[in-house]
Amino acid sequence: MSNEHYLIVSYFVVGLVSLCLGIAVYRVLRAPFATIAEAATGRLRSRLLTRALGVFMTLAAVLGFLSVSYTEKGCRSYEAIVKDRAYLVQTNQQQLQRTGDWIVSAVFLWCIVVLICLLALRSPTANHRNKT
Amino acid sequence: MSPHSIAFLATLVTSILIVLLIDRILRPGLRSLLEQIVAFPAATEFYLRALAIVLVCAAIGAALGSSFDLKDGARFMECVWAIAAGLKDVLQNLFVVLLVYVGLITVLMAALRRKQ
Repeated sequence: MSNEHYLIVSYFVVGLVSLCLGIAVYRVLRAPFATIAEAATGRLRSRLLTRALGVFMTLAAVLGFLSVSYTEKGCRSYEAIVKDRAYLVQTNQQQLQRTGDWIVSAVFLWCIVVLICLLALRSPTANHRNKT
Repeated sequence: MSPHSIAFLATLVTSILIVLLIDRILRPGLRSLLEQIVAFPAATEFYLRALAIVLVCAAIGAALGSSFDLKDGARFMECVWAIAAGLKDVLQNLFVVLLVYVGLITVLMAALRRKQ
C-alpha cells in the first residue's frame, strides 16, 4: 500500500472509529441518564436532554478527531506529509488520543449536568410536584 | 515485529491492565458510597459508568499519544525505558482524571448532604 493510499484509508477509518467511539459512549450512558433526566425534569424534557447527550458525545468525538492538523497549520507541505509513513501513523494515533481527551471532558461535563438534575430532584418544589 | 511495535503493544496492554485494576479496586467502595449519598440507582450507575469510560479513554489515549523513539535492533533495556516512558504518560493521565473525579464526587457529596 502506497503512503498516499494509507493516508486516505487511515483518515477515513480513524474518523469512523472516532465517531463510533462517541456513539458507543452515548449508548453506555444513555439508559441511566434517561432515568435520571426523566425523574428530574419530566418525560418531554428528558428526551431532549438525552438527545443532547448523544449530540454532545458525538460532536466531542468528531471534534477531537478534527482538531489534529496534518499540515501543522501550514508548516508542512502535502508532499512532505505523504513521504513520511511514520508521521502518518503518529498523526492517526494523535487523532485517537484527542478523541479520547474530548470524550473525557464531555463525560465530566455531563457528570455535572447529572449533579444539577439530582439537586433539582431533591429540591422542595420537585418533592411537592412528585407528591401531587 | 519491530521494537517500536513491541513497546507500543506492551504499553497498551499494561495500561488496560492498570485500568482494570483501578476499576476493580474502586468500584465496590464507590458503589456503596454513591448508593448511600445519591439514593438513586440510575445516578449510581451513571457515575460508575462515567468513571469506567474516563479511565479507559485517558489510559488508551495516553498510550496512543506516547512516542517510542526506538530503532531496529534496539537493546532490551532501551525497550524497557521506552515502555516506562509510555507508562509514565498513562499514569499521569489517570492521576489527573482520578483527581477531577474525586473533586466531582466531593462536590456531589457536599451538595447532596446539604440538601438532606
